[in-house]
Amino acid sequence: MDRITRLGGRSARRFRLGLAWVLVPCIFVFDTVTNYEIAGAVFYLVAILLAVGLLSTRGVIIMAGLCVGLTLLSLAMTPRGNWNVGLINAGISIAAIGITTFLAIRILVAEAAANNARVQLTRIARITSLGALTTSIAHEINQPLTAIVTSGHAGLRWLEQEPADLDKVRRNLDRIVADAKRASDVIARVRTLARGGVSIKERVNLQDVVADTLDLAQADLRRNAVEVDIDIDANLPDVMADRVQLQQVLSNLILNATEALKTESAQRRNVEIRARAGTHDEIVVSVKDNGSGVRPEMLDQMFDPFFTTKAAGIGMGLTITRSIVEAHGGQIWAHPNDPRGACFYFSLPTKDSSAA
Amino acid sequence: MNSNPSEVVQDAGIVYIVDDDASVGEALADLLGAAGLEARLFSSAQDFLQSTRPDVPSCLVLDVRMPGMTGLDLQRQLIALDLTLPTIFITAHGDVQTSVRAMKAGAIEFLIKPFGDQDLLDAVRAGLAKDSSDRREASTIAALRERYASLDAREKEILTGLVSGLLNKQVAGELGISEITVKVRRGQIMKKMQADSFADLVRMMETLRRT
Ligand SMILES: Nc1ncnc2c1ncn2[C@@H]1O[C@H](COP(=O)(O)OP(=O)(O)O)[C@@H](O)[C@H]1O
Repeated sequence: MDRITRLGGRSARRFRLGLAWVLVPCIFVFDTVTNYEIAGAVFYLVAILLAVGLLSTRGVIIMAGLCVGLTLLSLAMTPRGNWNVGLINAGISIAAIGITTFLAIRILVAEAAANNARVQLTRIARITSLGALTTSIAHEINQPLTAIVTSGHAGLRWLEQEPADLDKVRRNLDRIVADAKRASDVIARVRTLARGGVSIKERVNLQDVVADTLDLAQADLRRNAVEVDIDIDANLPDVMADRVQLQQVLSNLILNATEALKTESAQRRNVEIRARAGTHDEIVVSVKDNGSGVRPEMLDQMFDPFFTTKAAGIGMGLTITRSIVEAHGGQIWAHPNDPRGACFYFSLPTKDSSAA
Repeated sequence: MNSNPSEVVQDAGIVYIVDDDASVGEALADLLGAAGLEARLFSSAQDFLQSTRPDVPSCLVLDVRMPGMTGLDLQRQLIALDLTLPTIFITAHGDVQTSVRAMKAGAIEFLIKPFGDQDLLDAVRAGLAKDSSDRREASTIAALRERYASLDAREKEILTGLVSGLLNKQVAGELGISEITVKVRRGQIMKKMQADSFADLVRMMETLRRT
């Protein structure tokens, strides 16, 4: 995507690629008819550089191979000149083609990786900025609700009139139906958003995900003087999961733990992340803290939308966390920790049976 | 809004609704219509500012959060243009700071969406009543000014002296005229100012000074 914009529109792209392919036979003819002393084959570089970014990595390699082949063919077919010089020139040309192709491909790969990282970062940012979004979502839902309530009142009043004005009653009912639809559309949108859009399942190693998540959370943890212990069974099988969403689950739990620890002043602030194989084909991950803890009656409520005990809380963190875990075919639950704090567990199936 | 006014008794006055959300705006207009009030709907603050408004008691139902000019911006603008209307704000969130600002700038009510119909109607009726009494007061003052302007310079001097509590004789002495002249002029002043009594006259001058 980025490449297209950099090169100008589609037609510019096609023109460059066409030029590259026209150049190749021209160079071949030139290289063949001129003497051995003239190293026409180095011009193949121009064609290759034109094609870089327009062809796939494989396409570029094939083109480079073709150029090398044509160089050798020219060498065999050139009628005049010093054969030794021709051989050296061909060697230099081939080396140049090889080196250029190699470097171009390295750049392509690095670019692709950077692109990938950016896409992932955007997704993380989008999910984590959900807090800010909630206000605007609340507004978007409140609008149709207001219209519904007001239309309802208006309809009742038209109905109470003597004689009742049924046309106007109907008009209000129509509006109520339309606004209810509008509200449910907003909710549908939020739901896709909370799922982080389309989820991309891949083989994920839990140790890696935990490490990545801690990298992201590190600044926050250090600022709050929280120590993290990690205890992950090295023999755990990979899980099929969306890496970013899994990071989101872990970072939500770590964030909650940190916030629960913040309220407790004088003690060792500790979070423990463990992962074990479960009884069925599953992995059970736990995030344990010695913070403020949860009361038993809160254990179920915590996962409900908008349940929060924090002044600035939104109460969506655990809700989203649960929806992600369930979308992966797992479960999430919590226990009070002994002697203090809370422990959150979630399971992930190791055989991909989830229907996202 | 109301196509058949004979069905319901219309309160005198117009309620202007400014809300960018078509559905909410229409529902509001419909509700006011059902309650026998005339409503006019605008989808933006700019549209409202550009409209011509008849010279009748009116009030404004204003959404706080709108793209472009917000409700608070519009309120400020109206104040700057000396076009204050009793304003009822409607908003999605009970943002204390905003509501304090709006109330300080003279809003008469701040309703949190979704609100009850009676709350809105009460506020609107209070707004219309306030505007019509504001208008009555404004026209009284305008009339008073006109009457005061019809006095000549000498009459104004005498009037000033009298309402400051001086006796006829003292005013006469101060202005270097005879007491009888003051008495005669005093009668004319009362007539020109349409005052029933001297106390009435003092009250009128008090009002004029205040504004
Ligand atoms: N580690 C924990 N320790 C104690 N209480 C917790 C912990 N995690 C979550 N909670 C409780 O669950 C509630 C809901 O959490 P959450 O859904 O993440 O929303 P928020 O963090 O915005 O409040 C919190 O307000 C808190 O009361």
